[in-house]
Amino acid sequence: MVARPALRRAIPSSRTLLHAESRILRSSFSTTLQLQQKPNNNNNNNNSVPEYAIPDPARPTHFGFETVTEAEKRERVAGVFTSVAESYDRMNDLMSFGWHRVWKDHFVASLNPGFSPLTSSSDPRAPQHILDIAGGTGDIAFRMLHTAHILNGNPDVRVTISDINPAMLSVGKQRSASLPASQQAALSFLEANAEDLTQTKPLGANQVGYSPTTGVPDESVDLYTVAFGIRNFSNIPAALREAYRVLKPGGVFACLEFSKADKHPLFNTIYKQWSFSAIPLIGQLVAGDRDSYQYLVESIERFPSQEDFRDMIVDAGFVVGGQGYEDLTGGVAAIHKGMKPRRK
Amino acid sequence: MMRPSSISLRRPARQILFSSASTIRAAAPVPTAATHRSLSTSTSTGSGCTCANGSRRPQVKQTQKLQQQQQQRQHRNAYHSYDHPSSSAAFTPVEESILSAAYQHVPSHGFTPSALAAGARDAGYLDISPTILPEGAFALIRYHLVKQREELAARVSELFGGEGHVGARPGLSEWEIRGRVEAVTWERLSANAQVIGRWQEALAIMAQPSYVPLSLKELALLSDEILFLAGDSSVDPSWYTKRASLSTIYAAAELFMTNDHSPEFMDTRAFLNRRLREVNEVGGVFRNLREWVGFTATAGVNVLRSKGVKI
Repeated sequence: MVARPALRRAIPSSRTLLHAESRILRSSFSTTLQLQQKPNNNNNNNNSVPEYAIPDPARPTHFGFETVTEAEKRERVAGVFTSVAESYDRMNDLMSFGWHRVWKDHFVASLNPGFSPLTSSSDPRAPQHILDIAGGTGDIAFRMLHTAHILNGNPDVRVTISDINPAMLSVGKQRSASLPASQQAALSFLEANAEDLTQTKPLGANQVGYSPTTGVPDESVDLYTVAFGIRNFSNIPAALREAYRVLKPGGVFACLEFSKADKHPLFNTIYKQWSFSAIPLIGQLVAGDRDSYQYLVESIERFPSQEDFRDMIVDAGFVVGGQGYEDLTGGVAAIHKGMKPRRK
Repeated sequence: MMRPSSISLRRPARQILFSSASTIRAAAPVPTAATHRSLSTSTSTGSGCTCANGSRRPQVKQTQKLQQQQQQRQHRNAYHSYDHPSSSAAFTPVEESILSAAYQHVPSHGFTPSALAAGARDAGYLDISPTILPEGAFALIRYHLVKQREELAARVSELFGGEGHVGARPGLSEWEIRGRVEAVTWERLSANAQVIGRWQEALAIMAQPSYVPLSLKELALLSDEILFLAGDSSVDPSWYTKRASLSTIYAAAELFMTNDHSPEFMDTRAFLNRRLREVNEVGGVFRNLREWVGFTATAGVNVLRSKGVKI
């Protein structure tokens, strides 16, 4: 609740009334109360989607430290990732000293995809559909497949990698060639805008075996993941609502993203120094592209704090467990999880 | 509500003592906002502080609403209130629904992700749903600890013959309190019986470094609850020593119980009794030792004086 005012500042809210109501009703555990009311408000009825969660190409948003329109941000982000796609993985290693692998491993391990209880009464290995948004180069998707197929012995887990950027997707497609055939078969690639998953395009739409554009249907996904992608979205509330739409009741939204290390001032100072001076320089030397990496660090700086982002997730109708997020490396990155509640 | 006891104290001191004891469990030495609030309320209303305490509260609540809510959230368990039982907010409704369903699977699956996933299915969620619980399988252990602690009050009041309010009562002698501590502790240990086959693995999880602080906190809350329910109202340094020694004994007895195959855990009960008696004996030995040292020293000085040494 402490973070609410900050959220309201961050998002121009047309739902102040709802906030006020829930404040009156609330017990000491206000978030839950609100969660219970939300689903009816948000989802069954599209009219009540708040205005800020409807994508509008003309609405101002930020691109790093600049203010641009949503449409312009989409184009410029596309430009950034097209230019860094080839060197993306090498750059990640250099910028984070390889630590991003630890984060990603932990992220996937904490989700434990493909895990089922071995009960005698039901099918012991339930199929799962994982949608990896902004998963271009496949880092998360390949780990998911490994955990599900090999560690949990559940071959009925499919992963769909979705990215708005075909350049990133083709890098992922290339890398997937080294996977075992069974895992390749469980993998599909999708070119889509996360704010509107009804309009999708399979990668290389001419290829045999791909269905034509159908979009991701309602309530078809068990696990929706987005790792280091959501801060690049033009309209984050819209993307969260789209995630809510495609998830099955009980499905989990999981997000790994850079966050704020404000709790450790000294560490934060060093981290900020590193990210603002060293990362653009490394980008210039290794990838030959300073501006793209300048944008990356600025976009990290502009992304909401753990609490604010948690409130945005709750606002989209998800329920969270505990405080709703987990800090990694003192808050440099954070994992946010939310579950779509069951229909009443 | 507490009845005023017959101890004669000066009036303001008595008011403070009673009001704080009725609101704050055995005057928990943490100076919370709640402490200050109840003190100021009772002193301003003068006599009859026990009733005023309850009726005055809403007014105070209005003036300090926001501040108070935040503080109550932080210090939810730092004091015991008869009028305002702390809300059971350890788990959100969704967590509660998953965990309560998963708890049914503990005897067969243990405190494991399997039990959580099976519970999630029963509650109408997916296999993946329990991953939103930040502590994983430990959440299930915490659920057991919290639920059993919360249910203890009802079971104890049944045990002591439905006295209405359990807890601090001035009439109890120290000897009676000891007996009640034993009974309440045993009541709590018995609640582990249904999951006892899985309790060793739970203890192993609780001993993992990241869960140790939460486990210890839960243990402290439990020993506090047991002493409160047993009617202990000490406000001296023994407040700490009693809780510390009871925590140790409880943890030891719990561990003993995991290997106990005697009918109805008789051996565990005997073990518990021996440990509790030892604490009292050790306490007695220390008291006697102090007395003996004091006596010998005085006597020695007197002997020396009788020999003409100028002391």
